[in-house]
This record gives sequence, C-alpha cells and structure tokens, in this order.
Amino acid sequence: MQNTHLIRFSRRGFAALFLVLVAAPFVLTRAASAADPLKVVCTLPDLADITRVIGGDRVEVSTLYKGKENTHALTGKPSHLVALSRADVFVQIGLSLESGFVPGLLENCRNAKIAPGKPGFVNVSEGFRALDVPTALTRKDGDIHPQGNPHMNLDPRAGMHMARVIHDHLVEVDPGSKAGYDERFALYSKKLEEASVRWTALGKDWKAKRIVVYHKEYNYLADAYGLVIQGSIESKPGIPPTPNHIAGLVETMKQEPGAPILTALWSNNDTVSEIARATGARIVELPNMCGGLTGAESWIGMMDLIHERLTGGFKPQGDAR
Amino acid sequence: MLAACSPDLGTEVGVARFGLRARFVLRGPFRPASRGSSPPLRPCHKNIMSHHVLQVALCAAAGALPAVAQGPVFQTPGMPSAPTHYSAPGSAADSGQTNRFSSSFNPAFSFVLDSILDSIHNSGPSADGESIELRSLEFAAQSWVDPHAWAYFTAATDGESIAIEEAAVHYTGLGGHSTIRAGRFFIDFGKQMQTHVHELRTLERPLVLRTYLGDEVKGDGVQWDSWGSIGDKTAVRWSIGAFANLLPESVDEIDPDSQAAQSIADRKHIEDFNFTARVTAFTDIGENGVLQVGASARMLPSFAYTFEPSGDEQRGLDNTVFGLDATYGWTSDTGLQSWTFGGEYLLDTGDTYSTIGDSGTPGNPADDVVEVVSQDLGGYYVFGDYAWDKSNSAGMQFGRVELPEAGTPHAAEMEAYYTRMLSEFQRLRLAVALVDRDAGEDSVRFALQYTVFVGAHGHGVNW
Repeated sequence: MQNTHLIRFSRRGFAALFLVLVAAPFVLTRAASAADPLKVVCTLPDLADITRVIGGDRVEVSTLYKGKENTHALTGKPSHLVALSRADVFVQIGLSLESGFVPGLLENCRNAKIAPGKPGFVNVSEGFRALDVPTALTRKDGDIHPQGNPHMNLDPRAGMHMARVIHDHLVEVDPGSKAGYDERFALYSKKLEEASVRWTALGKDWKAKRIVVYHKEYNYLADAYGLVIQGSIESKPGIPPTPNHIAGLVETMKQEPGAPILTALWSNNDTVSEIARATGARIVELPNMCGGLTGAESWIGMMDLIHERLTGGFKPQGDAR
Repeated sequence: MLAACSPDLGTEVGVARFGLRARFVLRGPFRPASRGSSPPLRPCHKNIMSHHVLQVALCAAAGALPAVAQGPVFQTPGMPSAPTHYSAPGSAADSGQTNRFSSSFNPAFSFVLDSILDSIHNSGPSADGESIELRSLEFAAQSWVDPHAWAYFTAATDGESIAIEEAAVHYTGLGGHSTIRAGRFFIDFGKQMQTHVHELRTLERPLVLRTYLGDEVKGDGVQWDSWGSIGDKTAVRWSIGAFANLLPESVDEIDPDSQAAQSIADRKHIEDFNFTARVTAFTDIGENGVLQVGASARMLPSFAYTFEPSGDEQRGLDNTVFGLDATYGWTSDTGLQSWTFGGEYLLDTGDTYSTIGDSGTPGNPADDVVEVVSQDLGGYYVFGDYAWDKSNSAGMQFGRVELPEAGTPHAAEMEAYYTRMLSEFQRLRLAVALVDRDAGEDSVRFALQYTVFVGAHGHGVNW
C-alpha cells in the first residue's frame, strides 16, 4: 500500500539534510582579525555620521535606516542581521525609538559583544534629559514611550551628548586607539560649538512662535527655542488623525493663523496638504534623520537645514527671500 | 520607608511602604546570618536600650530589603526549596529576588480579540447565512527565565473551551546562533504554519495548507534551529524538530460511524517520532527588496487508521509533506508603500487517506475494513499584497489543491482582502473568499474581521 521508495528516499534525504545543516555553521563562519577596524552598526544615519567622525579610520560603519523612513518602523533585512552578528559596536538612540525591531535583531544575531550592558552596546540617550516622560502608561495616550519622547536626535543641543557617549564607548571597546578618539572628539566638539552659535543666531527670535506638527518629532527643537506647538495632526502619538480631530485642528489654526506645519518625509501626506489648503498654512518639510534630504548628509548639516527651512517657514507668506 | 518600631514587639517591626502600613515578622531568610550563635530576639525590659538599637537596625533592614517575609517559618528537611542569592541553602524563600506577592519580574501579558462578522452562501446542503462570532480570545504571556532562556505561552478560547496553543521555552545558551525550543509549539513549516490565525494576511490559512497539514499543527516536542550567513546580505536558517504527535486537530472531527480515525501511539521508538525540517535563505535584492526561499518537510513515520464500528486497524502507515516556498518583498524608501508576492507548493506523499471497505455482510459496519490509499498529491497557493500607506493594504490570494479523496478531485480557492489598521492596536479587514470544488459544493464568504491587540503581544515565530 505504501510508496516505500519515496519514503526511503525522503528519510535518506532527511538524514543528508541534517548532516549538511550541522556542518554549515563551521563552513559559513569566518574569524575576525584583531587588526581590523571596529565594525559599528548604527540604527540612524545621524549616529553613523557622528561615529565616523569620532572613530575615523578605526571604524567601519553601517546603518539600518537609510534616512527617509519613519524612525519608529523599519523593515528588517537579512543584511541587518548579518551586520549585527559581526558587529563590535552597536549604536542606537534608545528611549524605545527602535523597540519595534532592535530587540528581535539583537536576540537573533547572538552577538555577545553588543548585548545590552556590554561596552559594545551604545544607547546614546543614556543620561539625556528626555521630554514628554509620561506620568501614566496607558494606550489611551497613544503609542507613547515609557522613557519619554525618543526623537532626541532632532534636539540641536544633543550633538555633544551623543558624541560624548559614542566616544566613551569607543574608548572602552578599543582603548588602544584612545588618543585618536580623543583628538577627533575635541575637533568635533569645536565644530558643534561653532554650529551652535549659528543656530542660536537663527533661532533667537523664535520664542513663542507657533508651529503645528504631524508627529511629535520636533518637540525637542521646540523646547530648545521656546516654540509653541499649536497642535499635532496625529490625535495622539502614532494614532492616525480622525475626521473630528482634523476639523478641530483646522478650526484652531484658522482662529490663530500663521503657524507652519512641520512634517517629515514620511508624514508629508494628503492629510497635511488638505489641512494646509484649508488653513492657508505653509508646509515645512524637515528631515527627521540624516540622509533623507539633500544637505542633511551629516548631523550638523541636517541641523543647518532644519534651521534654514524653519527660518523660511516663519517668513510671511509670499516672502520668497 | 521606615515608619515606626514598636519597642515591645520583639522581632515584629512595623514598616510603611508607599503609604501603606504593614507588619512583618522577621523570620526565615531574614533572620540574622549568625542566628545560630546569637541569642534569640525576645523582649527584654532589663536591657531596653540595646533592644531599641537592635530594633532600629531590624527596621532599617526590613525597609532596605525586599519583603520576603511570607515564607514558612522553617525549612524542614526534605521539603522543596528555591535557592536565592540572599538566603542560605535550604532556607525558605520564593524564587529569585522576589517573594510570591511581588510583580517585579512578572511576564509581559497580552491578549488578542479576533471577531468575525460573515455571510456564507453554499451551492450545496451546508448551512447558509450570516453570523457574528468571537473567533478567538488569545491570551499570552512571555518573559525571560534567566539570561539564557525565555518562555511563553498562548492560550486561546472560542468562548466555549480553553486550549493551550503554545507553551514553550527558547533556550539560547548553546552559543553560536543556535536555539533549542522545547514544549508545545506550532511547527516550522513554510511561511504560514508558525503563525497564529489572527496574524495571517487572510481570514484563514491557504486551502493547500489546511488540506495537507491542518488548520493548525502544533506538537509537544523539541526543535533545534540555527542560522549562518553567506556574504554580507544573505542569511540561511535551518531547523530540525521532533514531536510526539503532529496530527492536526481536525482528525477529531470525523464521523466515527463512516470514517476511520487517525492516531499516533503515545509511546513509541525514537524513529517513530514525528519530525519537521526546514531550511530557508533570505537575501537583500537591491536597496529595497528582500527575497526569501525555503524548503520544509513534515514526516509522520508511523500512524494508524482505526474504524471504530469494526475495530479494524491499519498500522505502520506513514505520510510526509514536502513544501517549497518563495516570497519577495519590496518596500519604498519611506517604508510606507510595499509590495509582497509569494507562493508555496506542497507535495503530500505516502498514506494520504483512507476509505471504509464494505466487506463481509453488506451494509454491516461491524465487519468493514479500513483501506488506505497511498499516493502523491500536490497543491499550491500564490498571493500578492500592496500597502499604499501606513494604514491601508489590499491583496489577493489564489490556491489550488488535489484533494485526498477518491479520484483526487481538485478544489480552488480565491480570496481578496482589504486591511485597515485603525491604529497599531486595532485592525479591520474586509474579505471575500470563494471556494470552487470539482466535486462537492462551492461556497462564497463575505467577512468583516475585527482584531484588537492589548499588551505586548508576540509569538515565538522564526523568520
């Protein structure tokens, strides 16, 4: 009754497959040389830029995001897993920004060097004063983050903090190259100070100016200059706007006009355009990380672009200068 | 933290925590470490000063340490004990750094409500009409056990009974990329069999999977899986699993008066265990694409068909299902738009079904025999999905399968579906599914599926 030939074949095949699979890890793995530069994987291109500057020729950096995505969501790819499995250092923002995919990647990559708590695991928000820390954890408030607003990479005051955390971890992982890290960190600190002077000059008149945001990505920027967030298009963080919410926001914006709508590439959608048409508000598309817009290739360059575009956004309508 | 000490209570101290006043009796693991040589702690009016000092010290200790004060007074010889970092071996304390009333290390709990409002129209005698049902309430918890293992369970109820769908431990302490999973869990076969039904892109699993493997196939067993890389952009994962029984639940849904029941012995030799194997590779295709291909097998080396009215049984039967799958996904630069195309082909080999032979006295089931049909059957499904923003997606799925029945008639299934994520935690789906059978009735189903996710819901699903 039975198709014994096929079954015999399948059992032999099964055994052969088993042997091949057991042998595979030994064939596929390659030992790393101590002289190789540190392999660093960063979630955001912002962190990659700062790591490259501080690490110099001692680091080989790759990123998970490319620059145009919503920073809360990333489609995991095989190359991400492979890169993390070989990494000496992993750099993330933290504050649960990357919690949708980083824990799974770290769990599967099984790389003890970058496990949380190890010197190779870098959480740049560590020690940073987070905004919007919830007083109660309930989904009634939307997709909130327990440790606070995670978009600290868009805080013009955060550059030095991120650079210092990355520097400290690189020194800990690779103490033999400390002098180089120290030197490059000092140079970068100087550049940040110079940039900060530029940004402060541009933002000196922004206090109490109103903005409307799509997502609460630019709260740190607002906090840095005393900008007032008139409203957000998402009713709550991560919750798509309902018709009622949009109607209420449009009414508010009509009563007190003039606030530009700040969006990122991922959120510059039809709803934003409709609200802009209904209220006459100007849409200001800003980067939400490096790499998404021309001019935002580096973190300092991105901040320059944000300040430049926001300055344009506050000009009276029709002023093309 | 430290509220008050009562000087005449001996070893009892009053401790206020978070505004609540509680009284703890210091005993068990919180006795002083040198209790064997220290005098017993009793009220002593002659030396009230030294007692005050001692009580203050005890109050401070009670405030500073976790309140492991609910254990038994003595750990008597031979009784079970849980080792802790701060208690002597054999002393009474609950597991880890907590006591039985602490929630500090509790697992993440979650639940999912999956409900369907549908309308079914059959061409044959099966019941037509509309219905609303809570298809499942799935309750899950998961937590790290220690640095090398995490555990989870998933229980589901349709409102009438509760079943443990999965309860397993992932042990990750082997080193390398290996994981051992042990317990009860869904089989690692193709792209969809690991997935719980509420997580599918469609209302149900594809027809070919339902026909050859079952609606859901879970087993009590153990599985090893690992992965390696080829170059910088390709990962290869493989798994081997051994289970006690991988017959689908639907084997219990037969008519015992006219059909033979499938069964697998509870105790058997190792070679008669049920096995699964899967190898899958996925690779980056350009900047925005990912391609995954895989091959799977599920083997039942020894099972039986038994016809209850006559007691006739056919033993030593075997069945193996092989599967090949391929999936391609493309995601836009912003991550908002995506295309996904995929398909899976299954080959069902060996003893695929049974019939009842009317031997002996015609029409008398008491002397009927089981006749087993051994053959190869094939079937497949293909699908295409498109998501045009963060919240909306739509797709179509088509499948065709050779049925394990006399004459191997075919059945085809087509489903069109639109999914709206109302938020990250609520999902609405509108679907139309058609089934066209060569023999038997056809059906059309219109359905509205509403699914709610509460808490950190996840399954131990491999990629």
